[in-house]
Amino acid sequence: MDYARFVRLRAPIWDQFESRLSAAQKEPRRLGHADLESVALAYRQILHDHALAASRFPGTGAARRLGVLALRGTHWLHWDRGDRVPGPGQFFARTFPLTFRAHLPHLAAAVALFATALAFGTCLAIVQPATGAAILGPHAIEGLREGHLWTESLVTTIPPVVSSSGIAANNMSVALAGWAGGAALGLGSLYVILLNGFLLGAILATTVHYGLLGAMLAFVSAHGPLEITLILATAAGGLSLGQALVAAEDLPRRLVLRRASRDALVLLIGCLPWFIVLGVVEAVVSPAPTVPAPMKAALGLGLEACFLLLAWNPLLPAERR
Amino acid sequence: MKIDEPAPPSEATVLGLDNVPLELPIAGPGSRSLAAFLDYLVVGIGVFAWGALCVAISTLGKQTWWWMLALFLVGFFVIEYGYFAAVEIAREGQTFGKWAIGLRVVTREAARPGPAAFLIRNAVRSVDLLVGVPLMALDPLSRRLGDRLAGTLVVYEHAATREMVLRRTPRGWSAQEAALLEAFLWRAPEMEAWRAERLARQLLKCIRHDDPALAAEIDPALSPVDALGRLVKSA
Repeated sequence: MDYARFVRLRAPIWDQFESRLSAAQKEPRRLGHADLESVALAYRQILHDHALAASRFPGTGAARRLGVLALRGTHWLHWDRGDRVPGPGQFFARTFPLTFRAHLPHLAAAVALFATALAFGTCLAIVQPATGAAILGPHAIEGLREGHLWTESLVTTIPPVVSSSGIAANNMSVALAGWAGGAALGLGSLYVILLNGFLLGAILATTVHYGLLGAMLAFVSAHGPLEITLILATAAGGLSLGQALVAAEDLPRRLVLRRASRDALVLLIGCLPWFIVLGVVEAVVSPAPTVPAPMKAALGLGLEACFLLLAWNPLLPAERR
Repeated sequence: MKIDEPAPPSEATVLGLDNVPLELPIAGPGSRSLAAFLDYLVVGIGVFAWGALCVAISTLGKQTWWWMLALFLVGFFVIEYGYFAAVEIAREGQTFGKWAIGLRVVTREAARPGPAAFLIRNAVRSVDLLVGVPLMALDPLSRRLGDRLAGTLVVYEHAATREMVLRRTPRGWSAQEAALLEAFLWRAPEMEAWRAERLARQLLKCIRHDDPALAAEIDPALSPVDALGRLVKSA
């Protein structure tokens, strides 16, 4: 068959496929089963014509046009079904708990690193009290000398509605940085874990120095436990990403990366809504002098227990994912 | 006799249905960076518009001011982190910047990615702002870190109808000669007129020599370029 005859005979099929595909892309919901089948059949014809044109008539306009049509058809007719997103019910009842359980080793590593950095920060601030001043700034240190925590300004300078949205956005940014930092060979996640541990240790030690540890613990007890848990859980997702990038073991790296990134995304999405709750608690309950410290501690432990129960989901039997 | 072996498939080749090879038109770092620049412009405009709206509403009262400040903070966060993923999910792999440049996100198999892939490739955008361009420049598939994690590629999306396809060729002409004629007709509108006419006259002379029956249909009233186009494009 010569080129012109090939084009003359097959071009109507190409034109028809292109117009049907364009119509289907514009209004996919109006596409019936029969329409879809005819598009799929035409797609198969396009693929075969493309293979023929690429081998018999390479470099021609028909070969290029068929290449474009074949790619458009492939893109529209094929959907990565492995990436189906479950509904919220299934996600929080099954997907998130199974992923959380599977990543306990990464979470344990994150907790161990955090505890080490916390101990280091505490020791350094005890030995070198200037560390706390460098972290908190002279204004906060002046307040500590006068017996006031800098956190009191949270309720005296700006309304809770502003501080809670700001705190929630900031916490989510930190969690996202810890998660995304995993893509930098895990170094970003390590940085977030170690920095947060070090800062908390140094700040606690500084408040001990000024005799305000009780007030500090009362302030952090409502939101602190869950906030640290969430940051460590998202950073654990980042660590798993880093591990997949550095050590894919005997599986193809493409597969390992795909699995690790999907798991890390599940951990991130499962944790993000809790940051909104935390933002409200941190802005409204934590700095409120009217709320007694035991009640703040009970709220903090209650939130932590709720999260862990949801993340572990004891009703879900142990199973392979 | 030496038999020409087919060229080995490149990394940008994927196997479609029935193992038909498809060559993906991979977008390079330049066009992708330009698309990203346009998208950040959209993000900037979005944040500015959101801020202006919040300021306008906050003038209604002091209590409203604090609420609008809180809403601005939330909106800023949502626009900053959500624009790329949300638009790519809604527009099947095309942000407004990619749409302007003619790019689209596809899976490694040239299929439509799922929402998880769009979320992953955009969640690591902050890291890719630092290392994305060098990674794309070094990778034959121009993948940044987000693409590697999500298993996606960014390809050019050409309009198929733009291609020049001949409906008639002179008797005995090979596919290479047909391709040459198509290339000429495709580029003729952008060439200098005298040069295009000279080349068209040479091609018409070849047609008269190779296929007198077809040459008899040449319209002498038209310019050589138009006559050539009408001759081979009409069915």
